[in-house]
Amino acid sequence: MSTATVALHGKEKAAATLVEMCTVRLGNTVFGVPITHILEIVGAARPRPVPLAPVFVGGLVHYRGDVLTTVSLRQLLGLPPREGRQDLLVLENPGGIFGLLVDSVGEVLTVSSADHEPNPSILNERRRALFAGAYKLKDSLLVMLDPEQLEPMRLSAGRAA
Amino acid sequence: MDELTREFLIESQEGLDRMERCLTDLEERPQDAELIGDIFRSVHTIKGTTGFLGFKRLEKLAHAGENLLGLLRESKLTADRPLITGLLQLLDGLRSILKTIEAEDNEGEGDDAVLIANLEELQLPAQAQAKQPVHARAGGQAASAPPLPRPPAKVKPAPPAASAPPPLAPAPALPALAPAQPAEAVEAPAPGAKAPSAPEGDAPRQRVQTAGSAAESTLRVDVSLLNRMMNLVGELVLTRNQVLQATSADPGMTLLSRRLDMVTADLRESVMKARMQPVSNIFSKMPRMVRDLSQALGRRVRLEVEGQDTELDKSLLEAIKDPLTHAVRNSLDHGIEPPEARVAAGKNPEGILKLRAAQEGSHVIIEVSDDGAGIAVEKVRQKAIERGAITAGRAVHLGERELLQLIFLPGFSTADAVTNVSGRGVGMDVVRTNVEKIGGKVEIDSRAGKGTTLRLRIPLTLAIIPALIVRSVNQSFALPQGALSELVHISSEQAATAIEWIENVPLYRLRGKLLPLVFLDRLLMPGVEHKAASERDNFIAVLDPDGRRFGLVVDGLADPEEIVVKPLSAVLKDIGLFSGATVLGNAELALILDPGAIALKAGVAMREEEPACAVEGEPGAGAVKGLEYLLVEAGGHQAAVPLTDVLRIEQVPLKRIEYIGYRPVLNFEGQLLPVEDSGGVLAALEGNPEAQIIVVVCREGNRHVGIAVSHVLDVAAGGDLFQAGTAQRTGGVTLLKNRVTGVVDLGGVAPLAAGDEAPAAWNRMEETLA
Repeated sequence: MSTATVALHGKEKAAATLVEMCTVRLGNTVFGVPITHILEIVGAARPRPVPLAPVFVGGLVHYRGDVLTTVSLRQLLGLPPREGRQDLLVLENPGGIFGLLVDSVGEVLTVSSADHEPNPSILNERRRALFAGAYKLKDSLLVMLDPEQLEPMRLSAGRAA
Repeated sequence: MDELTREFLIESQEGLDRMERCLTDLEERPQDAELIGDIFRSVHTIKGTTGFLGFKRLEKLAHAGENLLGLLRESKLTADRPLITGLLQLLDGLRSILKTIEAEDNEGEGDDAVLIANLEELQLPAQAQAKQPVHARAGGQAASAPPLPRPPAKVKPAPPAASAPPPLAPAPALPALAPAQPAEAVEAPAPGAKAPSAPEGDAPRQRVQTAGSAAESTLRVDVSLLNRMMNLVGELVLTRNQVLQATSADPGMTLLSRRLDMVTADLRESVMKARMQPVSNIFSKMPRMVRDLSQALGRRVRLEVEGQDTELDKSLLEAIKDPLTHAVRNSLDHGIEPPEARVAAGKNPEGILKLRAAQEGSHVIIEVSDDGAGIAVEKVRQKAIERGAITAGRAVHLGERELLQLIFLPGFSTADAVTNVSGRGVGMDVVRTNVEKIGGKVEIDSRAGKGTTLRLRIPLTLAIIPALIVRSVNQSFALPQGALSELVHISSEQAATAIEWIENVPLYRLRGKLLPLVFLDRLLMPGVEHKAASERDNFIAVLDPDGRRFGLVVDGLADPEEIVVKPLSAVLKDIGLFSGATVLGNAELALILDPGAIALKAGVAMREEEPACAVEGEPGAGAVKGLEYLLVEAGGHQAAVPLTDVLRIEQVPLKRIEYIGYRPVLNFEGQLLPVEDSGGVLAALEGNPEAQIIVVVCREGNRHVGIAVSHVLDVAAGGDLFQAGTAQRTGGVTLLKNRVTGVVDLGGVAPLAAGDEAPAAWNRMEETLA
């Protein structure tokens, strides 16, 4: 599916660049995270809850000798908690590494920048800060997440503001 | 900054460190040619390389030093005190330029003319000695004119100069032509500036070579890389544990997993070793400091260093540098007396300052001891009362040891009065704080007139601390044992009466004193209904962080564990209750509780008599609050035994009590123990061979005695009783749980005399007992 899209657009607009995205699913929405930011994908993580932590913190996980703070995308977006296991993306930012908890991790897609559109204006403000537009796929939308906006420290600063 | 310059800086720094060590040694052994050679080499190397890198100022200074050292090496000069002082100044000058280069990438604008002139002046004696008076050296450039008549003394330092640009180098690149040049020196100029091995005859050269090969076999590694390796090894250990578990059923895998186990353990040890550094890294800075300070203060001091090879984690080594420096400074400033005072006191005018490092189990002990005046305990007592740190009444009962602990109180020692009169204590609280920060302990021991010993107990690694694992809100938490003083269990049935309330503040009577309680579950999950204390088991961890004493109530206790502390991300640190996280042996993650932060959050205040309490927290200082006693019952009477004298409490069958004449004795671990039975416990049970009695084994002087009792009741702190009217302390009794209780007089238990018709075989033992 994705290759078809790329091939099509590749012929039409030679200037478009190709980007690889890892798709993650949360409820019915498919999100994309640029794979350049992903260090590792850990299946079925069991984060340890941290009492008194900000609501978006999904807990702590043990990752390669370090203790990693995770951000729960569900809790961040104000969705009801989900029973059972969640998958974990280990993301790397200039500020350090952290985990992102999602319902499940899907495939890696190659998308073309030509299919990108910015956030729609009617999206609520909180989501507008977290999302970086969307890619139009053949039969669905891939909502982009901005890893830098997901940094726990930045999130807590945003909440305080 | 380019790679070459950086390498030059590191190398020069090391060279100067070595030079500093050698210089202080040289003062002791001024004739030691090897030392002089070492010093010369350090300066020479710097000079050679600067020519390359174009640091003119540095080169000029190094050159002046080199000339002087050259004369010294030829024995034209003797290493007397002014000379060594001059060389130390040279060292400082070189260091400061290196520092500027490091910071600003250039040499800075400083003027070294005074220093250089001083160094040249120091050469004068040698020049006066020289047969052909070529004093041009002091004059600078002119010296280069007549190379041939130059006495050999001038030739030797020359080869290094070959590398230097000519304008300021008095000895130009002609050394090879000088007829007086020894053969070896001739080949040397060829490698030029790059070769640090100056021509110095065979022996030193060989040493240079071994030093060179040592450098080849070592490697500079970034500490952060080592930290990363340590982390990964920790991870490997956990993975190994899981592999071991998963493969335990499969015999084919047993061998493999055992091998994995072994390799992992080895790897872990190696990585830990890689982070270790010998304490000589900081000890080596001391001779210089001791020298400078003792000169400035007019003391005569000999420094003795022991256990330099003892190794310690690098980060810990860094952390104790300041406290140690402080301690040494204190010893010189306030400990060791001026020579006249020492002579007057009948001591050797030269004081001894001793630095000792040794490993004891999982700790490294570092001792700073002097044979100075010691701490005047009485003055400390007075000052403590003056400052309100303790009450006069209490001060009377404090022993020397307890009083010494007072100098660690914050603010106590900074007062000038104490410093002047007691002679010790500037910033001792800072020393203690710094050492405790890394999980260490500070002890002090002082004899008036004899000297003082300060002992630092440092854990081997920083990252591993002992902790008690507790459970609350269905999670495990790690509670560092440093702040933990005791644990109390209150079952659900007891809870209703044992936990008392003032409004909504829970309290527990701990040995008669009210202890504020903090329920961990309520603190961590406010706004949620929690089980009442009477519906579950309660464990009170009595904590005493920074003098805020409180009981933390948790649902359960697990084993104590040595935990590896992992830092938390900033967002979780902001919660303020957790100091880190750790992975437990069962691969479970646990947050590390911060007792001090919990006390603050829960609003636990410092106790009123805070300073005294701080003393209580000290190891071995438990006696500050009055002696603790073991309360026993014997024949219907209660009696108290000082807890410090109690070795063991033994329950033994009555028939094991034997008699020598009329005296009951117990064969206790192969030694004969006289059993005191003033309570009539033995007599009451006579004729009942099945009965069990309790013998409290006590230490009395250097012998042991047993006391027969019917019950052991409690441990309690005794209060002193004062005789009405005279306000004299009464002996033999103490106030225990508000009852006047007699203290068993252990000294009064008569030794087993040889006349007591003892069986012959026991005679020998009796002698040892008596």
